[in-house]
Amino acid sequence: MNPYIRYIGERLILLLATIFISMTVVFFVPRMVPGEPMNAIFANMAAVGGSMNAQEMIVEYRVRFGLDRPVWVQYLSFWRELAQGNLGISISNFPSEVSGMLLSALPWTLGLLTVTTLISWIAGSVIGAVIGWRGRKAGVARLMVPVALVLYTTPYYILALILVFVFAFHWPIFPLSGAYSVGMRPGLNTAFIVDVVRHAVLPALSILLVSLGWWFLSMRSLIISLKGEDYILNAEAMGIKERRILWGYAFRNALLPQTTGLAISLGHIVGGALITEVIFAYPGIGYRIYNAIKSLDYPLIQGGVLLIIISVALANFLIDAAYPLIDPRIRFEGSGGS
Amino acid sequence: MAVAPVQDAIVESRKGVLWELQRNRKFTIGGAIFLAMLLIALISGMMIDPDLRKSGSFPQRLPPGEGTLFGTTSLGQSVAIQLTEAIPNSVQVGLIAAAVGTILGALIGFVSGYFGGKVDNVLRILIDVFLSVPSLLFLILIAALLRGVGVTAMALIIGAFAWPSPARQVRAQVLSLKERGFVQVARLSGMNGMEIILIELMPHMFQWLGANFVNAFIAAVLAESGLSILGLGPSREMTLGMMIYWALNYSAIFQNLWWWWLAPVITLMALFLSLYLVHIGFDEVSNPRLRTEG
Repeated sequence: MNPYIRYIGERLILLLATIFISMTVVFFVPRMVPGEPMNAIFANMAAVGGSMNAQEMIVEYRVRFGLDRPVWVQYLSFWRELAQGNLGISISNFPSEVSGMLLSALPWTLGLLTVTTLISWIAGSVIGAVIGWRGRKAGVARLMVPVALVLYTTPYYILALILVFVFAFHWPIFPLSGAYSVGMRPGLNTAFIVDVVRHAVLPALSILLVSLGWWFLSMRSLIISLKGEDYILNAEAMGIKERRILWGYAFRNALLPQTTGLAISLGHIVGGALITEVIFAYPGIGYRIYNAIKSLDYPLIQGGVLLIIISVALANFLIDAAYPLIDPRIRFEGSGGS
Repeated sequence: MAVAPVQDAIVESRKGVLWELQRNRKFTIGGAIFLAMLLIALISGMMIDPDLRKSGSFPQRLPPGEGTLFGTTSLGQSVAIQLTEAIPNSVQVGLIAAAVGTILGALIGFVSGYFGGKVDNVLRILIDVFLSVPSLLFLILIAALLRGVGVTAMALIIGAFAWPSPARQVRAQVLSLKERGFVQVARLSGMNGMEIILIELMPHMFQWLGANFVNAFIAAVLAESGLSILGLGPSREMTLGMMIYWALNYSAIFQNLWWWWLAPVITLMALFLSLYLVHIGFDEVSNPRLRTEG
């Protein structure tokens, strides 16, 4: 058989196994814990002044959500519904559809994370290349190395706290939480866009600075390790301009591993900033899932986790599929004996 | 390619690993900072009168220096005394989780790599699956559902998700080691699979396991502080993450009680930085090609 097809087949099995195992864990773990998800519904109802016979209602709702049936029946019906693209109805936000809730949260997460990931990747790679290339000649710029090290080893949520203190409390320049001001009507006008950007600055900065440190460090060490390669020395001996050697030879070759890293982190975007979203009450996927877990909203937990797992697993699959095509040095050894 | 000679060189200089480590500047500086923090916390923790740990032992909201070293909280606790409890607890989470993860991972990796075949096929898929899922997601799920776990339970849960990366590395190492002469000789001389794993292969893995251990340690402390800040930490005990959680809970940032939240934040940053230096040191010693410049 064509080794590439065989290899793709294996990766495909991995993709499906990832989704299957994760969803099985996510299905059973919350159900093993004592707790009544219906409580959330009644809290909501009490809040709007509903007063009905609670016990009867709980029974009725349990039937409605199928929670009265044995767990394995629920499990089978979960897959059956999923195969038809049905994620079910949220318990805590009854009767909203899970897919709708996730879709309304997705743009916030994607917007925040895509922009910060790309900015930090480009900036980190370029600065890392220059400083790595110059080596000891880089002068004061070499201070970037310890700074990047500190940034990279700081968890993004710790950085978020420091940013909140400095820019939301000490100098109240940026708003503290949410994605836009209360009472603002979402729309495509300047006032709203400015408001959204202002709200995004602090969460974005906390993620951006941490990942910038990482891209900088990895590009710098890639360039340093390439500097001694024969083709670089050869290019120097031929008298090619240094600038051209850096960007046309060294940087280009370092881009392959660096791009793989980018692809991996793009896959992690959907679930990547959960704690930041919680700290800033930013209404993205992470914040939704966090609230769903707290209120035992089974369908919403399952839907949210599925979304994250699919994006991560798909990104990994695409990288694995593309890599042998880009880099001919990779051989197909099914066992992946790396 | 050039990999095999490098490994041979390592195997031959194995008795020199500790010596090489203590010569590595990043390893020694990182290790010294880490040990200093831990020892100061442990020793002063032992000397402190246990009664002073209770809420209300000190006046509330004192800035640093006025009676206590790092100030006091809104509940009249000394931040410095909380640190003497939080640092060892956070380190304990890291140690237990890293030990569980590394041992579990090494075991799975050994079995998968050594026995091969169907066992390997299944384990390899499991390793790859758990490598690719974001474990923080599952940790949040489990911690949220268990509610109010202690430090040890927390560490075990985190450790249960720390095995895939050591498993993958150990598996790859075993695959390359098991074809080497000395393993063949051992097999021919009648040793069984377990004996070969323990006596012949284990000693070659210590450096990789060491670097892995530090890595898992960092990840575990990170996971603990993240979970705690979300309010899912060991609520009856003090860890660095829980200190931040309580400070945020009493809105220390907006009452300008900066010492309350800044003390655990800076401690955590120092802890991560020192452990990361140790990690780089380990990497450089076990992989000499990294040492070129830096």
